[in-house]
Amino acid sequence: MTIALEIKDLAKKYKDFEAVAGLSFDVREGEIFALVGPNGVGKSTTLKMIATLLTPTAGTAAVFGRDTVRDAHAVRELISYLPEEAGAYKNLTGRDYLDFMAMVFLKDKARAAAAVAEGERLSGLGARLEDKIKTYSKGMARKLLLARAVMIRPRLAILDEPTSGLDIVNGYEIRKTIKELAAGGMTFLISSHNMGEIEFLSDRIGVINKGRLLACDTAAALKAKFSTEDLEEVFIKLTQ
Amino acid sequence: MNIFYILLKKEIKELVTRQLIFTIAATLLVFHVIGKSVGTHNKASAAHNTIVLLDLDRSALSARVAAAVRAGKTEVKPAGAGDIQAALAAPENISENSFMVIPAGLQAEVTAGRASRIEYYSRFRKDASGLGPAIAASRIRRTAQAATAEISSWLLERGMPSRTPAFLRDPAPAREFAVVDGHTAEISLSQVIGFIQSQSLFFPVAVFFIVILSAQMIMTAVASEKENKTLETLLSSPLDRRLLVTSKLAASCLIAAALSGAYMLGMRSFMAGVTSLGADPSVAVAAAGPALAQLGLTITSSGYLLIGLSVLFCILCALAVAFILGILSEDVKSIQTMMTPLMMPLMLAYLLPIFIDMSTAHAGIKFLLYAIPFTHAFMAPQNVMMGNISQVVWGIVYQAAVFAAGVALSARLFSGDALLTLRLKWPGTK
Repeated sequence: MTIALEIKDLAKKYKDFEAVAGLSFDVREGEIFALVGPNGVGKSTTLKMIATLLTPTAGTAAVFGRDTVRDAHAVRELISYLPEEAGAYKNLTGRDYLDFMAMVFLKDKARAAAAVAEGERLSGLGARLEDKIKTYSKGMARKLLLARAVMIRPRLAILDEPTSGLDIVNGYEIRKTIKELAAGGMTFLISSHNMGEIEFLSDRIGVINKGRLLACDTAAALKAKFSTEDLEEVFIKLTQ
Repeated sequence: MNIFYILLKKEIKELVTRQLIFTIAATLLVFHVIGKSVGTHNKASAAHNTIVLLDLDRSALSARVAAAVRAGKTEVKPAGAGDIQAALAAPENISENSFMVIPAGLQAEVTAGRASRIEYYSRFRKDASGLGPAIAASRIRRTAQAATAEISSWLLERGMPSRTPAFLRDPAPAREFAVVDGHTAEISLSQVIGFIQSQSLFFPVAVFFIVILSAQMIMTAVASEKENKTLETLLSSPLDRRLLVTSKLAASCLIAAALSGAYMLGMRSFMAGVTSLGADPSVAVAAAGPALAQLGLTITSSGYLLIGLSVLFCILCALAVAFILGILSEDVKSIQTMMTPLMMPLMLAYLLPIFIDMSTAHAGIKFLLYAIPFTHAFMAPQNVMMGNISQVVWGIVYQAAVFAAGVALSARLFSGDALLTLRLKWPGTK
């Protein structure tokens, strides 16, 4: 099986603070891999390093064999990144936003048009796509952003807290979309501190705390290893 | 479709909001309305040009004085009273502000070689404001000058009947010449200065507006992209990061130019109303045109091109600095504070050359001012007029170098961690 993402001893240090302290794991093609852990343990920093936004202070990250530092531009051709609590351009309509992003990522009019058609379908916003984004609710905006992230069919989609702050219905719809796309072959690296969501979505889980990977396996294997039916309990036992 | 054009279009769509258009339209309207109101009011004030005359001499000389005042387009209204207090209190004079008292025995006294004093009274109202008091003061000054000149003429006619009073008053009139860069023309220095000032009256204001507007726009654009994390999305795309920098710079520059054009229209309308009072300096300038042309004090089309280039690079320098400040901003709210490092050199470049003669200024001050790229644009019109072309060209070269350095630094910040991790914090802030 092809390795979509390979992380080796990845670290990020800000002056005296070590945000990520030597992470190592890999993600297989077509897999949904989740990094779980509470806020401030290095999940977002790790995702930003993989998304070529931050430079690691040590270790490497490679997307389909391309190094995120030495070959950053090639990595950007393969990924799509959705930051946590990201916004969109408020004065653009939903459709204008999808058009703009499709051209930015694909640079080809025909491919961009096909991607926008897919984005419109995935967003589920219908006629509201003609309205300016500033009129959208948080859930609508997040669905638009997720559609933007996946409409270009990236080989690796990096989603930071994809359902953070959303209500049950919107959260469910987004999880369902991710599942559908993964079934179609797209690889996902997501971060979350919502254990229920992670258990529903992911094929494998990496438990992270204080910048270190404490365990990495399927939800079932982790629960079996710690003799519990609850993933939250696994996390508590690992971090205590 | 060209990706730069797509980015530029997006930037313009984000920057041009309904609120912005409304603000500009409201500003234009306010400028226009104030200009019109002030102009109408001042014309009405100037039209009411009356002085109340209390002639206690009732002589041939006092009649000539009254006629001389009338000749100066001031209406002379005889006071229906015997003394000034009664004249001031008279109901028919209640709306009058300027009074003149010719004393009894004026003709006899001056003919005998003794001074006599004509008195002027100005009623200053507690609620007076605007240009009304200044108009009244000017009226008194002109009336006093006309009266003194007429009394002098009266005495000169009697003392030297073979010569005209005009000749006797100014038997050797001065001829003033100005020398500019080896060219000589018959024109007073005050006319030359008036011309230079009239040509550059709006210019620094316009440049100042453009710089502030464009700087604020680009800082807001960068800071809001950071705050909304839309920048993270763009930076993780396969887009050339230099395109992100240049498209933002270009959009801000285009909108700032359009907005400053609108502001200037409003300002022009405002100033036209305000300056409609009294003599128009442009009339004097037009009359002195041939002499000014002889001195080479005109701006040719290539001169205008140089000035335009200097202003363009001034804006670009400001945009490059503002871009970096936007990158270092914590969020959109902190932009006002973050403008300080840009405002300080801008104010120095704008204000110091107004008060300091650069040709004689201390070397340190000159160095400081010329190190600020904005100074070159503020001084460009005067330098072009005075033929200091090489100074303008070197100024543009220096501005271009500063801009290139700014863009290089911006692109560098955009390429590294600094964009997401660097924050400029003032002492005392958390």
